[in-house]
Amino acid sequence: MTTIAETQSVARRGAHPSSTTRIWRVVKLQFTNSWNILVLPVLILGAIFVLNYAIWVIAFRSSDMSENALDGTQYSGSTIFIFAYMLVVAIQAINLTFPFALGYGATRRDYYLGTSLTWLILSAILTLGIAICGQLETWTNGWGLRATFFNAVYFGDDSFAARMFTVFAAFLFFFFVGTASAAVYVRWRANGLIVAGLVLAVLLVGAVALISFTDSWKGVGEWFAVTGGTGVVAWSLVVTAIAAVTGFFILRRATPKS
Amino acid sequence: MNTTPSAPPPSGTGDLVVDVRSLTKRFGGFTALDDVSFQLQPDMIHGLLGRNGAGKTTIMQLLTGQDFASHGTVNVFGERPAENAAVLEHVCFIKESQRYPDNFKPKHVFRSAPWFFEHWDADFAARLIDDFRLPVDRRIKKLSRGQLSAVGVIVGLASRAPLTFFDEPYLGLDAVARQIFYDRLLEDYAEHPRTIVLSTHLIDEVSNMLEHVLVIDEGRIILDEDADDLRGSATTVVGSASRVEEFVAGRDIIHREAIGGLASATIGRLTPDERRAATSAGLELSTVSLQQLIVHLTKVSDKEFKEAA
Repeated sequence: MTTIAETQSVARRGAHPSSTTRIWRVVKLQFTNSWNILVLPVLILGAIFVLNYAIWVIAFRSSDMSENALDGTQYSGSTIFIFAYMLVVAIQAINLTFPFALGYGATRRDYYLGTSLTWLILSAILTLGIAICGQLETWTNGWGLRATFFNAVYFGDDSFAARMFTVFAAFLFFFFVGTASAAVYVRWRANGLIVAGLVLAVLLVGAVALISFTDSWKGVGEWFAVTGGTGVVAWSLVVTAIAAVTGFFILRRATPKS
Repeated sequence: MNTTPSAPPPSGTGDLVVDVRSLTKRFGGFTALDDVSFQLQPDMIHGLLGRNGAGKTTIMQLLTGQDFASHGTVNVFGERPAENAAVLEHVCFIKESQRYPDNFKPKHVFRSAPWFFEHWDADFAARLIDDFRLPVDRRIKKLSRGQLSAVGVIVGLASRAPLTFFDEPYLGLDAVARQIFYDRLLEDYAEHPRTIVLSTHLIDEVSNMLEHVLVIDEGRIILDEDADDLRGSATTVVGSASRVEEFVAGRDIIHREAIGGLASATIGRLTPDERRAATSAGLELSTVSLQQLIVHLTKVSDKEFKEAA
């Protein structure tokens, strides 16, 4: 448990909680009341599923009961909610637990690493949940209605593993984009978010302009085609990582405000 | 309860718990702390007193690494506190304006606190919850101001952190609850000595338990003395205006008032001989409470203060 950096301080002044212990207790703090970060989003997703199911039954009954009546549901965007919601979860959790953890004497470093680890664990839990539900969907032949909810096309039509990789990466993406936004908010409040939003918009417009002026849209399209779904998802991890690292350095100098 | 051997707080330079030198903190154009220097001794109850906006919370935020200094140095247990786990491990600072995760209930606070404070005493916390009649199963958002303060007080006491800050811990607490807080603090402090910094407006209520007093005004430390030295360090002389004037002539006057032919003047400590001289001159003497003294000190202008101090 004791890292090299810790050895010195142990020698200097006796036993201290190791870095691992300090990071882990932040994870525990994040899970102390898991209503906001886990229970509520899953409940909402469950409610969406139940409503969808009701609509499928209605649609199925009112159609000619043909086997393919619900083929269109493969384009269902219902599960998109839970991904985007994780952005909210990250912002909300950091805004509330950051000043609290600092009151407990946590360092920003330990807080950030513990919170990031929380997102990794949550992403794994949610991916596992979606994987199980997706398999159930397959085994029950689309919940008996040939409907699609958890296996929507957006997750790719490759192997099961590839799809779950997409799901996992999507969760990470939203968690860490949320984390970076939260870090900006915690440090500079609303003004920071406005400036960050403007900077991001300028960068995006700049990129679009650059691609247009250099007639590179074809190249961009080709890149996506060549890289493939899973490849693009893998590239999203780069964006996720940039967000995570940026968030760390922003939060490192943030102060809890009242 | 805790199987790992408890580590003593790091101690670098001497025995000082806190050593602040030429500390300045600016927020934009506003100077919250202006070249502040002071030390805190271990195992004492310190009062950090001053008016609203004087810089009390800013000092505590800098001592606990929650904020960063503009200039100067802050040492806590001999090291810089900012981002220093070895130091912050031994520090508890629940602000008056502390924000809690809003889906938390007090029970969540008390469940998570022991992970962060190695000396946490769960039995003591349970007793305090009883004493303050705190509903542990109610959402933080639904608590009254006093109940919210009680949460902070309980964390501050039960954490038994070697360096504990109480930032105006009594807001919304009624007189009974405040007395409970003072009683429990003193009892527990006697059994588990530690360094306590109490920031408060209710100076008279706490003046008997303070061992050392720091008064801050407009970002500057204007008083840094042992409480025992401070008690009786000022005397108010009351009598006819001419006699009072005669008696206080040539002395540093902390405060003066006059109504009609009567005057009162607050001056420094008097020797027994001087006291006899005053009474034989027909003047009445009264001691000045810590609160009155501080009110006088923080009302006067900076220049006058320097003459008075």
